[in-house]
Amino acid sequence: MSDSEFRRHGLRLLAAWAALIVLMLLSLGSAWLPLGLGNVVLGVAIAATKAGIVAALFMGLAREPALLRLVGGFALGTLLLLIGLSGIDYATRPAAPAAYQGSTR
Amino acid sequence: MNTQALPRPDEGFTARLGMWVFLASEVMFFGGIFVAYGYGRSHWPQGFAEAGRHTHVAIGTLNTALLLTSSAIVAFAAACARHPPARRWTARLLWLTASLGMAFVALKGVEYAKEWHEQLVPGAGFALATPGAQLFYMLYFFATGLHALHLAIGIGLVGALAWGSGRRRAWADGEAVEMSALYWHFVDIVWIFLYPLIYLLGRHA
Amino acid sequence: MWLFLIPSIPSVLGNFLIPLMIGARDLAFPRLNLASWYLYLAGGALVLAALASGGVDTGWTFYTPYSTLFSNSSVVLTLLGVLVVGFSSILTGLNFIVTVHQLRAPGLGWFKLPLFVWAHYATSIILVLATPVLAITTLLVVAEHLWHIGVFDPQYGGDPLLFQHLFWFYSHPAVYIMILPAMGVASEIIPCFARKPIFGYRFMAYAILGIASIGFLVWGHHMFVSGQSLAASMVFSLLSFVVAIPSAIKVFNWTATLYKGSIHLAAPMLYALGFVGLFTIGGLTGLFLAALALDVHLTDTYFVVSHFHYIMVGGSVMAYFGALHFWWPKATGRLYPEMWARVAAVLIFVGFNGTFFPQYLLGVEGMPRRYHSYPEHFQVLHMLSSAGAVLLALGYLLPLVYFGWSLRAGARAGPNPFDARGLEWQAGSPPPTHNFDQPPRIPEQVYAYDPNAAPEAGR
Repeated sequence: MSDSEFRRHGLRLLAAWAALIVLMLLSLGSAWLPLGLGNVVLGVAIAATKAGIVAALFMGLAREPALLRLVGGFALGTLLLLIGLSGIDYATRPAAPAAYQGSTR
Repeated sequence: MNTQALPRPDEGFTARLGMWVFLASEVMFFGGIFVAYGYGRSHWPQGFAEAGRHTHVAIGTLNTALLLTSSAIVAFAAACARHPPARRWTARLLWLTASLGMAFVALKGVEYAKEWHEQLVPGAGFALATPGAQLFYMLYFFATGLHALHLAIGIGLVGALAWGSGRRRAWADGEAVEMSALYWHFVDIVWIFLYPLIYLLGRHA
Repeated sequence: MWLFLIPSIPSVLGNFLIPLMIGARDLAFPRLNLASWYLYLAGGALVLAALASGGVDTGWTFYTPYSTLFSNSSVVLTLLGVLVVGFSSILTGLNFIVTVHQLRAPGLGWFKLPLFVWAHYATSIILVLATPVLAITTLLVVAEHLWHIGVFDPQYGGDPLLFQHLFWFYSHPAVYIMILPAMGVASEIIPCFARKPIFGYRFMAYAILGIASIGFLVWGHHMFVSGQSLAASMVFSLLSFVVAIPSAIKVFNWTATLYKGSIHLAAPMLYALGFVGLFTIGGLTGLFLAALALDVHLTDTYFVVSHFHYIMVGGSVMAYFGALHFWWPKATGRLYPEMWARVAAVLIFVGFNGTFFPQYLLGVEGMPRRYHSYPEHFQVLHMLSSAGAVLLALGYLLPLVYFGWSLRAGARAGPNPFDARGLEWQAGSPPPTHNFDQPPRIPEQVYAYDPNAAPEAGR
């Protein structure tokens, strides 16, 4: 690549790094807010954004042919399938903890 | 041999495709742990919250920052390896990446030692009584241990390439640096998801 | 399972045939392929060591909490072997995916690829995405067995059913790893010996992808009576009915390929026809099992055993034998004796049905699986099954004898003894290390057979 392209790429990496640190601090700070379920949702959402920045900018997915994005997409989709479909069982199975498991909830 | 006349596919892309397919399998590998975590947290929210409160958020946050920085460094190293005027920086940047990785592992060791002393290692004498707290720490040690193992492999790869790149070895070319950088970024992404799930629960109360 | 049914067609035949079929010199990552082989040997050695040290009493399914908390058998050693062999299969899948994307000869578009290649491509996607879940599951079981990291232990709040979700998330798609390559084989043999292009080529390709994708959605049908919620069971039951549809499309299309074809009952064709018939029976009985109420009665009985043996043995293994015969001349440069091959095929077909049909009846009557003692009124059916197994064994031994004989004394084979289409038949028999001496000619159409053309040239 040319010198100017190289410099631009370097600046892009720097900006991505800065964004990642800011998001990390945001995530850290938000943990002390009483958001109930919102805490984990926000935490995972911020993590997903950070992962997206790493994938798109550090790993170059934004610039690569679509096939690589497809590979990443399939992996993510399959994982969500595993979590989601098993989640149907966990969401609808009545919980009846035994005494030796201690009190619940 | 006329088969030499067959046009060769873009070998760089072939290698990257192979690495991405491998990373897809790794996503599914770590994914199982997140399923277990999801089960545990949804069924034992109080136990997980109490357990989460006892994690060392300062070390965890510092480690996250180290890993994010190392990811940026190795991405820059890969760019340098492909830009002839900057090629001489590749080895130094790779050594820096490996060092940041080793710092992460060292801090993890310190953290584990603290947890050992605080009796947060699952087993007889576990410190927390709330149901589910021990399950959290079982998943914590399993997940972070597996992550550290993957990071150690990455450190080995990056270190070897740092050495080879410094000596201008043919095998330590831009493509190899790019491959190991992709792997390094993946290990970083796993940690990005582990961080909030381990360190940032139960903090407000 | 992991040492034979999963790797048989992909590793034995796919490694050899896929580069040939796409006009390439080798796979995309030849050294990774070799690593795959060494990992297979290492994993196999671990499993054999486990067998030698007393085996496992958990069954291949390793259900918790027995495998983690109570079993004193060689659980850890076996699971480590499974882990290593699993990694071997992931690398094979990776290699195939990249090879099919990157190394196709110029002019060979996706819809000119033989269905064997499509089948292995879809199989490879399953290998890459499902097997890692097995890997993490084996590690979790080992961790719980050795260090009481009790993710599946209710004492710590864990869930034994979590193991089953993770295990079957892999193990159901795994059965599609075992059958898709066999379907690919059938799609190569049947057009050749019916002298007709495959019926509905695009639908066959889409059906392969459909089986692979829907196959990821049905794992809960192994857990209907495990304690899984009724809502989840109903969802999985419905999806299990849906997954039968693309398989049915393939059976219809194989049958339609035969219609008005010029049928030659050569040995590979006998195996392929046997495959279609037996796979159909096995597949239909799968529908019985997908029905929740029926499954309560049939689960863990010999009905299930017969169902999956019809598919795995009547299906996959028959296709494997058909493939061995079809490509034996290509791989070894020798011809096998046709008469004995036909005898073996018929013997296997008869022996197979003799062994496994009685097991459907046993299952419906209530004979549980994994029991070694049973009431007297099951005796006759058990004996019939055993008798069938003797015939089946003879049928399997026969090819061992004549294949071995053919290597020394069989007639030499030309490049294309069956007058088949497909790029592999343009290479020598056996092919040189670089596969093709000249770049292969890409045909206008895949499966360019004509039932009305003159009979094929001599072998």
